[in-house]
Amino acid sequence: MTDVLLDGLVAIPFAFAVLTRLLAPRERTAVAVAVAGGLLTLAWSVWAYADSGSSLAGSQVDHPWIAELGVDWHLGLDGISGPLVVMTTLVLALSLLSLVRHDPGCGAVADLAALLLLIEAGVLGAFLALDMVLFFLFFEVALIPMWFVINAWGDPEDEPGRRRAATRFLVFTVLGSALMLVGFMLVRAQAGTFDIVVIAERYTPHGAAGVTAAFLVVLGLAVKTPVWPLHVWLPDAHAKAPTVGSVVLAAVLLKLGTYGLLRFWLPVVDPSWALLVPFVAALAVVGIVYAALACLAQTDLKRLIAYSSVGHMGFVVLAVTTYTVGGVQGAVFASVAHGLITGLLFFLAGAIKDRYGTGDLGRLSALYGKVPHLGGLFVFGAIASLGLPGLAGFWGEMLAIRSALFHDDALPQATFVVLGVIAAFGVILTSAYFLALVRGLLQGAPPAVRPVNEDVPSIELATAEVEPGTSMAGAVRTDVDAMEWAAWTPLAVLTVVLGVVPGLLLTPVGEATRAFFGGLG
Amino acid sequence: MKVQAIDWALVAAPTVLAVGAIVVLLVDAFTGPPRTRRAALVPAALTVTAVVVAAVPAAALWGEVRTTFCLGRSDALCSFGVNGLTLTFWGVVLFGTAVVALIGTVEVADGRTPQGEWYFLLLCSATGALTIAAARDLVTLVVALEVVSLPAFAMAGLRRGDRRAAEAAVKFFLVSVVSTAVTLMGISLVYGAVGDVFLVSLNVGPLDQSLEVVARVGLLLTVVGLAFKVAAVPFHMWVPDTYVGAPVAVAAYLSVVSKSAGFVGLLLVLQGGLPWLADVWAPLLGVLAALTMTVGNVMALRQGHAIRLLAWSSVAQAGYILVPFAAGADDPVPSVTATMGYLAIYAFVNLSAFAVAAVVGTRYPAQRLEDYRGLVRDEPGAGWPLAFALLALAGLPPGVVGLVAKVLVFDAAAGPATWLAVVMAVNVAIGLVYYARWLRELFRPAPEGASRYDVPNGVGVAIGLTFTAGLVFSVLPGLLLDPVLSSLTVP
Repeated sequence: MTDVLLDGLVAIPFAFAVLTRLLAPRERTAVAVAVAGGLLTLAWSVWAYADSGSSLAGSQVDHPWIAELGVDWHLGLDGISGPLVVMTTLVLALSLLSLVRHDPGCGAVADLAALLLLIEAGVLGAFLALDMVLFFLFFEVALIPMWFVINAWGDPEDEPGRRRAATRFLVFTVLGSALMLVGFMLVRAQAGTFDIVVIAERYTPHGAAGVTAAFLVVLGLAVKTPVWPLHVWLPDAHAKAPTVGSVVLAAVLLKLGTYGLLRFWLPVVDPSWALLVPFVAALAVVGIVYAALACLAQTDLKRLIAYSSVGHMGFVVLAVTTYTVGGVQGAVFASVAHGLITGLLFFLAGAIKDRYGTGDLGRLSALYGKVPHLGGLFVFGAIASLGLPGLAGFWGEMLAIRSALFHDDALPQATFVVLGVIAAFGVILTSAYFLALVRGLLQGAPPAVRPVNEDVPSIELATAEVEPGTSMAGAVRTDVDAMEWAAWTPLAVLTVVLGVVPGLLLTPVGEATRAFFGGLG
Repeated sequence: MKVQAIDWALVAAPTVLAVGAIVVLLVDAFTGPPRTRRAALVPAALTVTAVVVAAVPAAALWGEVRTTFCLGRSDALCSFGVNGLTLTFWGVVLFGTAVVALIGTVEVADGRTPQGEWYFLLLCSATGALTIAAARDLVTLVVALEVVSLPAFAMAGLRRGDRRAAEAAVKFFLVSVVSTAVTLMGISLVYGAVGDVFLVSLNVGPLDQSLEVVARVGLLLTVVGLAFKVAAVPFHMWVPDTYVGAPVAVAAYLSVVSKSAGFVGLLLVLQGGLPWLADVWAPLLGVLAALTMTVGNVMALRQGHAIRLLAWSSVAQAGYILVPFAAGADDPVPSVTATMGYLAIYAFVNLSAFAVAAVVGTRYPAQRLEDYRGLVRDEPGAGWPLAFALLALAGLPPGVVGLVAKVLVFDAAAGPATWLAVVMAVNVAIGLVYYARWLRELFRPAPEGASRYDVPNGVGVAIGLTFTAGLVFSVLPGLLLDPVLSSLTVP
């Protein structure tokens, strides 16, 4: 039964991707099939998660795959991967749903939907994989489809820009994952297996080779997460991607990095090493502050949200490096919360860009007056993202800071306390830029009354430029329509639910962490 | 004097190819110039038949370790031997030769290449390639290497009235002759130092101080000679011009079969004969590998010509294949398996790319990357296989075979030569840039007025074969790798 459930999580999106692609000439049918596939995968993942225990025991699949290399087809679902799996299937299902009535430009919606399903198959495989080589393989499955998504459906006004962004995304990620693979090979040379469950149980990293291995693994995953200063690929990729591409990138693909740190880096690292872990933690905190400052200076809505992701990922990485159960709980919780909230924010940013033809913060203002529902949702997303208690964004970051203060005994006390304090300062900066954003974007006088600077075309001009007969003019889309409500509501509802009842997530994660890592502090 | 006993089962495969070569030549001589296109395909059909027939005795030997042409009463000193490595390589050569023969049929429509002679040369060269993997002494090895190379010059330059092909052939000829001379010099020095030519006798361990110096110099020269064959930087200059000038089928042959022969030569001499000099050759080949992949990838970045890009990419790939050598001889099995596994996978992936390039070349002889625009939509039968092959060369899913090949190499290098594995990781990322550039062209909407290609049947089969192999082994890499890797022993 477990076999079918886990293999199905990879096989269903893949099969539906192929089916969608085959039906591509009949676009509406193809998209409908893709949505059905997304919903089926979502239901399947919920079932699989409900069926699995919080520890890995009893919910694993393990067959030899390349016997001579010692690579196994080893999948498993527990409290650490389960929440991320469900979050992924949910976000992908909603992304596919958002394609139904909405053409992101450049046509070929069916192909785009097929690519999204392929990405889903790869990401789910990576979350389920318990074999290092298999993880690496699934990690890379999502890359080429994502490259196509940015390359072909990205910002229609800036072709060289989106091509550059796509290739940069691809090259950075592959560089990272190739280094990670070298690290895995070094671990294998010492531990004698690719099986991470066995490694977490028995392997004690030691010697120069152990440090090198852990360094290479964290370097590779840091590119993906991303940890400052390896984030340079991210703002462009997010800003140039189509709306669904940004949503999937931020909500799902970044989590491969954070999940990799939890599942594949923590077991191969030793907190008593003097440098590596504190160094990574310090970079994470630098990222938090840097991202907040960068956000204050952004003029483009999508870039701003992209940079805010760097900050949120900083909290996740800080939580991971504390080497505690609380840290792992915080990391998983913050990952899921970031997926829900930033996914929602990118949906909203895309909707704003579609309506006004621009994401330029200098040209957008007073959206409350024009699209009140959209504006309201945006405020909700923004305050959730800045970590208001009672919403999902709060708990992950609170736990990250708390575990930085109460970290593993082997870690340097003073360093982590200082880092925790700086991270808390970062929370304040985060509030600053989100509040500034809300004021600039949503509030203010309507443009008709506001004196318009002659150099800067007002929003009215931007909308008026749309000629009758184009796809944007065809849909009279002033405020949130039914399809958009359908795609966005689940994210908002879950943000509230997880904010009010964090135990839903924290309890299984805690149990799974104790089962998987045995000796974690 | 006792007549030497010959184990005919072992030499059956090369013999079949040699006989096949003569048959092709004779049939061509007696039937005269072909009058129809169908008649022009006879040599290709005969060649493929010969390859298939040769595969039967080779397959029958699977799993056995046997030797023949032995010296004296004991069976210790033998010139010809078959083991897992030999048979794996035979598989690569036979598959490669069949596919190259099929790709060669695009030249039929052109009518400028004498088909009979060309296929005769192809089979001759393949005979040499089979022999080299079975060579167990230095003399047989060098002779076999020459049998691979000599017909290849002629194949490169055989197209009538094509000055670029002639130039390519001459360049290739000069480089190859020099490299053979250097190899011979090196081998004679090794022979002088050790006093024997059999690989098993070479493995004697440390010699006297003065003799050891001679052996080291001999080793150095041998490696340089073989480095020309595998086109390792800085001995790679002939590659781009030769690949571009020669017919696409010849470029495919050079990049897969002839190059693999060089690698097998290296494996036999270094891992088989001189593992005790690993402190010399392992760092040397490590540096060569790093240079080769870096130069190959960086040069490929700027290419706008498809074949030239494939040429530089094949230089880079040669760098990856050299990486396992840097791991030395302390634990030779992972190193040998990585080299052979990579060669086996690289063979059909690269041939697939060349086969599609041959098809596109029939319409766009200029082979610009822009000429591949919209290929996936215009001609899905060629576009998808090329896209798949490029991804596999880059080592990304869905080309899982290519990824597994890289895993093999990383596995061998991580630990003994971690620095090289890191260099390779960086190179894999650089390589992506140009593969992605080409891939983007394939999927761009085609220009107006584009139509379907008239894919020659032979090439269609070649593309189908290589693409199917790629897909099957991507889903179940174990199907290819488990038998190959488990059979491999140190030569």
